[in-house]
Amino acid sequence: MSSLVGARNCISNPSDLRTYECDGLTSFRVTPSLVVLPASTEEVVAVVKLARERGLPLVARGAGTGLSGGALPVPGCVVVALTRMKRILEVDLENGFLRVQPGVANLDVSKHLGPEGYYYAPDPSSQSVCTIGGNVSENSGGAHCLKYGFTSNHVLGARVVLADGAVVDLGGPALDAPGYDLTGVLVGSEGMLGIVTEVVLRMLRKPQATRTFFATFPSTDEAGNAVSSIIASGVVPAAIEMMDRLAMQAAVAATGVDWPDVGASLLMDVDGPLAEVEHTSRHSVALARKAGAIEIRIPKDENERALMWKGRKSAFAAVGRISPNYIVQDGVIPRSAIAEVLHEVAELSKRADLRVANVFHAGDGNLHPLVLYDARVPGQEKAAEELGGAILRLCLRLGGSITGEHGVGAEKVAYMGEMFGEADLETMHRLRCAFDPERRLNPGKVFPTPRLCGDRPGPYKAHTTELSGEATRG
Amino acid sequence: MSATAPAAVRPGTSADAILGVVPKEVYSPSTVEEAGAVLEEKARTSARVGFVGGGTALSLGRPPARLDAILRTDRLTRIVEHAPSDQIVVVEAGLTLASLQRAVKAHGQRLALDPPLPERRTIGGLVATNGFGARRTRYGSLRDLIIGVSLVRADGALAKGGGKVVKNVAGFDLPKMMVGSLGTLGLVATATLRLHPLPDSDVTLIARARTARGVREVVAAMRGAQLEPAAVAALSAEKGLDVGIRFEGFDAGVKEQVGRTLDLIAKGAAACDVLDEAAAAAFWERHDAARTAGPLRAKVAMLPSTFEEFSERALPALRAAFSEAALAAYPTLGISFFSGVPSDDVAAAAAVATVRDFLAEAGGSLVLEEAPAGVRAHADPWGPPPASFSLMRELKDRLDPEGRLNPGRFVGGL
Repeated sequence: MSSLVGARNCISNPSDLRTYECDGLTSFRVTPSLVVLPASTEEVVAVVKLARERGLPLVARGAGTGLSGGALPVPGCVVVALTRMKRILEVDLENGFLRVQPGVANLDVSKHLGPEGYYYAPDPSSQSVCTIGGNVSENSGGAHCLKYGFTSNHVLGARVVLADGAVVDLGGPALDAPGYDLTGVLVGSEGMLGIVTEVVLRMLRKPQATRTFFATFPSTDEAGNAVSSIIASGVVPAAIEMMDRLAMQAAVAATGVDWPDVGASLLMDVDGPLAEVEHTSRHSVALARKAGAIEIRIPKDENERALMWKGRKSAFAAVGRISPNYIVQDGVIPRSAIAEVLHEVAELSKRADLRVANVFHAGDGNLHPLVLYDARVPGQEKAAEELGGAILRLCLRLGGSITGEHGVGAEKVAYMGEMFGEADLETMHRLRCAFDPERRLNPGKVFPTPRLCGDRPGPYKAHTTELSGEATRG
Repeated sequence: MSATAPAAVRPGTSADAILGVVPKEVYSPSTVEEAGAVLEEKARTSARVGFVGGGTALSLGRPPARLDAILRTDRLTRIVEHAPSDQIVVVEAGLTLASLQRAVKAHGQRLALDPPLPERRTIGGLVATNGFGARRTRYGSLRDLIIGVSLVRADGALAKGGGKVVKNVAGFDLPKMMVGSLGTLGLVATATLRLHPLPDSDVTLIARARTARGVREVVAAMRGAQLEPAAVAALSAEKGLDVGIRFEGFDAGVKEQVGRTLDLIAKGAAACDVLDEAAAAAFWERHDAARTAGPLRAKVAMLPSTFEEFSERALPALRAAFSEAALAAYPTLGISFFSGVPSDDVAAAAAVATVRDFLAEAGGSLVLEEAPAGVRAHADPWGPPPASFSLMRELKDRLDPEGRLNPGRFVGGL
């Protein structure tokens, strides 16, 4: 491998390998055999071909900020870290696209476009470090996807190295190329269909105006009702975020943001043409008041607005200030069920005797319950995992999802069989087999049960090695 | 599935033909389970099966290699669930777009998708063909609006992907896999769709008699001014192109954007008027007529900036080979629909080839949505297969190993 990417870009020293043993989900760790950092599509091809000859599994990785163990190595694997491929290759303002390498940080795309009056819409909380390649893998969201959609709505095409080393271009800057929407299939496939080496992104013109307000409420009930009535009124907020008391306390402790100690808060953006925004922000503020808001704050300037958003975006990390350990969950519920769900979460929390801080994208019902625990107390970590699982099951019971933006990864494979039936999973597996029949790309993710692809297409049958226990999951 | 009552069946007639291929039998299942039972039975006999919804896109693609049966979705017309406060709806494939719109309108909502012929087009057909209209300018296409799908596979298994919530990344994206797959991977049985609030106000302006360069300038000026039109469509007129610009939303926002657009375009010193309700309806009817004209109709996709060069270098070849040539273009999307009456089949096919050569350089594509048999004999409706064709073949082989669904009709004979 070192002859392919250079010795300096090959990591095999056990202590250096440990950097790559997990992503943002630190409770899952596996040390890889080798980490390579290729600098071009050609180098990725060479690495993939050599790995294929040796029968080695490959795990692609960006900045490692994922929260579901999507970049978790498997024993004996080669980790392909794409962080050296961070060039912006082409910017076409008139046609509204840009072509980037996968290691470009999400926020760097918008920074690059900013002076021209454009930006890239998906904005995961980790956007200052997380990479576009990782965003494509996980179909990352962010606070502003209620109005603008997710990564998949903003990826027009990709250059992909397949498991056999073939390079294929999917989609492209011109819309509607004839054939299947393989770009749509690729985004969110958690690194299991190919290694992305270039991405064509859609850029957006910056909106003429943005209005932000922060509202406090006695409890999450009033805040939830405010969200429902704002959305029912026909307003499509650019973002509408809810935090409960504990999450606000954590943000205050971590960032010094000046927030009162109340039951819940909403942070909301509307954006668009000026006259439209003035109308929708006034209207939304009135609805928040009517729903029982205690106080409405409107930032005086961009600095104040940035501080409010900093408080929100740092909420996950901030929880570290009030608890030695925590689990971030990522469930989705129909947004009309917010108040009901939070009561049930509070009940589950009480029963488990563990605190839960709630931060979430209220507009699209994407909950991020943070389960606080102390790993030094025997049994607490397990209890916290069980509580996290109970919350996901609650989401499923209400017709929601086990993940809104973090991905299934290694963390939630056990819940896939609760959300999907056997035929659903088997159909997804066929899709995987079309791209990677040897199942060497990011094994062990998404699918809960062992599956082989079979030598030729046909109805699924358990392979003999699988039945004997010789083959492993993935 | 064995407990399911058999679906209604009758012998196929020439009226059921897809591109001249008459099926032996026509099934109309009344439930998704019945549809599954039909496909399971057809799998046992290795029958070739096609799917028909509203029948508005039956001229799309190559003639199927063989058709033993057609499964119609005309009895799968239920709204399975509408959750107004969550702005989602789950519908069966055979529901027409117009019926869906009527049902959700009562709750102040709509599906932000406006292809022509909504009274005939079904949701399943729209998913299978990636149908859209001018509002794609703002709201995107079905791939941006579909959040869940259930499909019946070639072997009769019922599988689902996505979910009922707008935000969801669990599992592979089967909904997007199905969009535009033309019934070659499975039957779209139900679709779960994101709804939008109905706008309070809806105003269309028209900038008349523009050149292709003029259209480009209008679009660039609006983008520069951060205007957010819901739709922009350029229709061929007696002289040049008439550009319709639609704004939707709350009254205050629409008024202000209309005013600024008038100022911008007036600076360009050409006529631009606000249309009253009747004139706006007439403009969009004219748009729908151009989108459904025949007997030849082509969808042309390219980079938006290429439209001017396309109009100068490629369009004249089409105009020369067709009478009654008409164009409906979406300049912000880079997608145009050309229609006309071929004067000579061979010359028409040659003109299509000329345009394809131009588009090959420019990174675009031309698909014949409808064409007389004589033109088809000389021009493949899909054009050259894309770079990722072998992967598409793999996908088809995995989902439909015996190649029994709509065989041969899609890109490259998939």
